Amino acid sequence: MSISLKRARAIFVKDYKEFSRNYAISIILVFPILFAFLFRSAGSALPGAIGFLLNTSLVILTSLAQACLIAEEKERNTLRSLMLTPATTLDVLIGKSSLVFVMSAVVLAISTYILGYEPANIGTFTAAIILSIILYTAAGTICGLFSKTVLEASLSILPVAFIFTGAPWGAVLAKDYPVFKVLDFMPSSQLVHLLGLGDTGYTTGDVLKPLLIILAWTVVLTVVSVVLYVRRLKDE
Amino acid sequence: MQFQPMYEGGELFLPEIEFNMTPGQPVGIITDLKRKQLVMNQLAEHAGFYLFRVQQGEYMRLTVEELITFLIHVSERKEHAASLMEYFALKEERKVKIKDLSPSKRVYVTLLRVFFAYQPALVLEEPYFYLEEQDRRQFKRILDDLSREKQLLILTSNLEDALISCDVIYRLNGSGFHPLDIRDSEEDKQDVHKQDEPNITLQKISTKRNDKVILFNPPEIDFIESVEGSILVHVGGENYDCALTLTELEQRLLNFGFFRCHRSYIVNLQKVREIITWTKNSYSLRLNTSQDAVVPLSRSKLQELKTLLNI
Repeated sequence: MSISLKRARAIFVKDYKEFSRNYAISIILVFPILFAFLFRSAGSALPGAIGFLLNTSLVILTSLAQACLIAEEKERNTLRSLMLTPATTLDVLIGKSSLVFVMSAVVLAISTYILGYEPANIGTFTAAIILSIILYTAAGTICGLFSKTVLEASLSILPVAFIFTGAPWGAVLAKDYPVFKVLDFMPSSQLVHLLGLGDTGYTTGDVLKPLLIILAWTVVLTVVSVVLYVRRLKDE
Repeated sequence: MQFQPMYEGGELFLPEIEFNMTPGQPVGIITDLKRKQLVMNQLAEHAGFYLFRVQQGEYMRLTVEELITFLIHVSERKEHAASLMEYFALKEERKVKIKDLSPSKRVYVTLLRVFFAYQPALVLEEPYFYLEEQDRRQFKRILDDLSREKQLLILTSNLEDALISCDVIYRLNGSGFHPLDIRDSEEDKQDVHKQDEPNITLQKISTKRNDKVILFNPPEIDFIESVEGSILVHVGGENYDCALTLTELEQRLLNFGFFRCHRSYIVNLQKVREIITWTKNSYSLRLNTSQDAVVPLSRSKLQELKTLLNI
């Protein structure tokens, strides 16, 4: 399957224009920044604020935007029409995902700055965020593929929001119910671990383990979303 | 082009169909909604067909120019948006968002997707149904240009729509898949035999339906067509078989204001409402009946009709 930058860029530009004029959806770009202001005024009373902020933003911004972009095309039958053009599956997915990626990266950077969070290691922090954005984009793609309309897409995000953002808290229950230890392997829990590392006194293992788990999630979800995309569109 | 037969409830719903598609000769199939879907679904399984379905939506928030630019890029065409906009006659709507266009224009813009298709065959479902007269003409022009290089198949439930741009038309319904005879043929002027005078006194046209003989007064009849050798008399939207030939009927009905407008059609001139001009060489007559009926008019017969009607 060939990838053409020209076609992917055309899809990027088209989606950018559509998205920026759809105020009902593009308003979600503001939420992470609003949250950041809220948490900043709370000050140091909330030690886990950055983890909560990033995990929620990744779902309501990254996943939701991607799901809505895909569902809207499905709703209007333009996705099927796109498949009849020379644009390949990867062109379409890359075009859409890169738009969501750029938006998420910019908004997350701004809200991290507003919150005043300073990562222990800027390299690991960036890597973790980049992987997470890709991961949540893939999750959004899957949600979009299972919904027929934009409305359905925004609802299908709820389970994702529940499982992914709830996981770090669920892990607290692990003391009483060992089953919940599984939740510790969710990418959101791992991201919280990474963010919680102090300036000093962490080993390479402390950094590497969360990163590797997030990477594994990213690879699996990306592959699943591409396979599902190809299969779902053939069925219709 | 070949289609598999399909059965529904033990009855043959879609017969085995076979016809040829060549560039420069658009094919039209007149059929109902369900058969249209079945035909489309079979076509979707082949590569090499660009299917335009009636449900096709459009990116509502783009302007017309942005949409055309996007389609050019995504289909890797070399044209410039500006020159194409001129070709599509959309210069005035350049900066208008798709959602702000009139319904007819919006469908027209959506239909332009077929222009960018790289597939050798284009299949369109009801392309003219939602278009206003002006947009119809524009889109017919674009389809005419496209059909020079591509095979074109139009699925519609309306004879009039099929007549606009198809050279070969088939009718697909419960009784099977039959070609309609719409060709213009000047060479086919049959010698008119002088019939006996007494025939004029015979006023009723006898037809058969479900083994019953039904007699019609000539003024009741809308038009008569010949389909694959059998003569169908259309009255109030229904059709009835008739045993006479078109030439015989023409003789009998001449004095009742009937006119042989085409090799396979006789029309009741009292019921003609409109002469439709598609191009310089193709015409139709629209009838003033309860159901919107359209009858082809041969180029060679146009002059005759004009003198008859004193136009």
